[in-house]
Amino acid sequence: MKLIENHPILDFHHEDKKKITFSFDGRKMEGFAGEPIAAALHANGVRTYRITPEMKRPRGFFCAIGKCSSCFMTVNGVPNVRTCVTPLEEGMRVETQTGKGVVAAEG
Amino acid sequence: MGSKRVDVAVIGGGVHGCSTAYHLAQKGLKTVLIERDYISSGGSGRSAAGIRYQFGTEVNILLAQYNMKCIKTLQQDLNYKADIEYDPAGYLWIAYSESQLEQLKKNVALQNQLGTYGSTILNVKQIQEVAPWLNTQGMLGASFNPEDGHVNPHTLCFAYADAAKALGVEIQKQTTVTGIIMKNGKAAGVHTDKGDWEADAVVCCAGAWSVDIGREIGLDIPVIPERHQILITEAVERMKHPMTLCLDDGSYWKQCPNGTFMLGVGREEVKDTSYYASWDYLDAAAKRIVPKMPVLAGIRVVRQWTGPYQNTPDLQAIVGPTPVEGFYIDCGWSGHGLQFGPSVGRIMAEFVNGEKPFIDVSMFRYSRFEEGDLFFEPACI
Repeated sequence: MKLIENHPILDFHHEDKKKITFSFDGRKMEGFAGEPIAAALHANGVRTYRITPEMKRPRGFFCAIGKCSSCFMTVNGVPNVRTCVTPLEEGMRVETQTGKGVVAAEG
Repeated sequence: MGSKRVDVAVIGGGVHGCSTAYHLAQKGLKTVLIERDYISSGGSGRSAAGIRYQFGTEVNILLAQYNMKCIKTLQQDLNYKADIEYDPAGYLWIAYSESQLEQLKKNVALQNQLGTYGSTILNVKQIQEVAPWLNTQGMLGASFNPEDGHVNPHTLCFAYADAAKALGVEIQKQTTVTGIIMKNGKAAGVHTDKGDWEADAVVCCAGAWSVDIGREIGLDIPVIPERHQILITEAVERMKHPMTLCLDDGSYWKQCPNGTFMLGVGREEVKDTSYYASWDYLDAAAKRIVPKMPVLAGIRVVRQWTGPYQNTPDLQAIVGPTPVEGFYIDCGWSGHGLQFGPSVGRIMAEFVNGEKPFIDVSMFRYSRFEEGDLFFEPACI
């Protein structure tokens, strides 16, 4: 797979191309350490990252540089994480966010 | 520019000014309301937007009962289209020392004695039941009333302003009072940057800015403005969490109906009416509140703003006539004024109309300071 080496806005840190595992809505997935969470999801074929609070519409990648709120997901129990600019880490628990996001009891 | 004639000129478009104007118009008095900026632009709109039964002095408790009764049907009563957002999430006052707990017990006992429904003292286990997200370390107990809560400070003001307007009140926004018209030693109207308004009475509801207006006519109103800052987070889904006020460090936070969390912390602040917000406050509030409610750690702060408290020596309001005949004041609310708009707006109109106030507010009289008759309100931060 070809990974982005240089991005006009974002810094990417996946020089060592180290494969790690994380979960998406309970499903085990693979990605590269340090790439944006959203990029790893995209590579795994995931296109819907959240469901909007009012109109219940699916949202996914949009601006992809941390500005637009389209890719908010719940990560390790924290809602509204900008997955397009948050680096992927081993064992991350990534969940589709429905509505405004539910704060989990355990992070 | 010219001179217009009304019965009463009200200064200030916060909730007290708007409610006063509404109640004056209900009595058939021709009224003008002068607001320097826009309705709710000062202390009202910048407040923590709370309304509660839980106070510690008789007059505040009785007024609070009336405020709480009003707020539940206010939107319908004023025929206002937008939501006033009364949200009874409860108020939890937390004691970290025996003396704080004793004070809370006294407050609740007085509330119960005066007929307030629902105020109780909670032990730590009961605190966890009403606020399961709290880290209760160091907490000894709390007072709680489940009907205390939130109100939208803007729509609250707009509702009164629109209702006043519908009754014929002239609302002059973007108009600054530049002085008080005096005739034979009596207040007889206001000078503004857009013309004069002659009136039989002037009601000053200008919050922390009342000091400047009083000075114009030789009144040394014992109010010290104090900057207060406040933060708000992004929205998350509603959680079971009441307004929480910690007596150890004056920190407080609540979830608003739209899911945002509003946070503040008590600390030394500059004594002025400036709107400047500081980075160190953001830092201090986060460091004090997150350990008390760890799940807030991942929620982003999106906005911070300021509003001036208007502190008196006993943290109680100044309500009623003044040594200047025809000049009435309603200020000095020391950080808990928004919720008193319903009751005290009515009382100001009663004062001006020569009636006996429906609740005795003589404790709030202007002269208590020179008489040395202060009475401290314990339930405020």
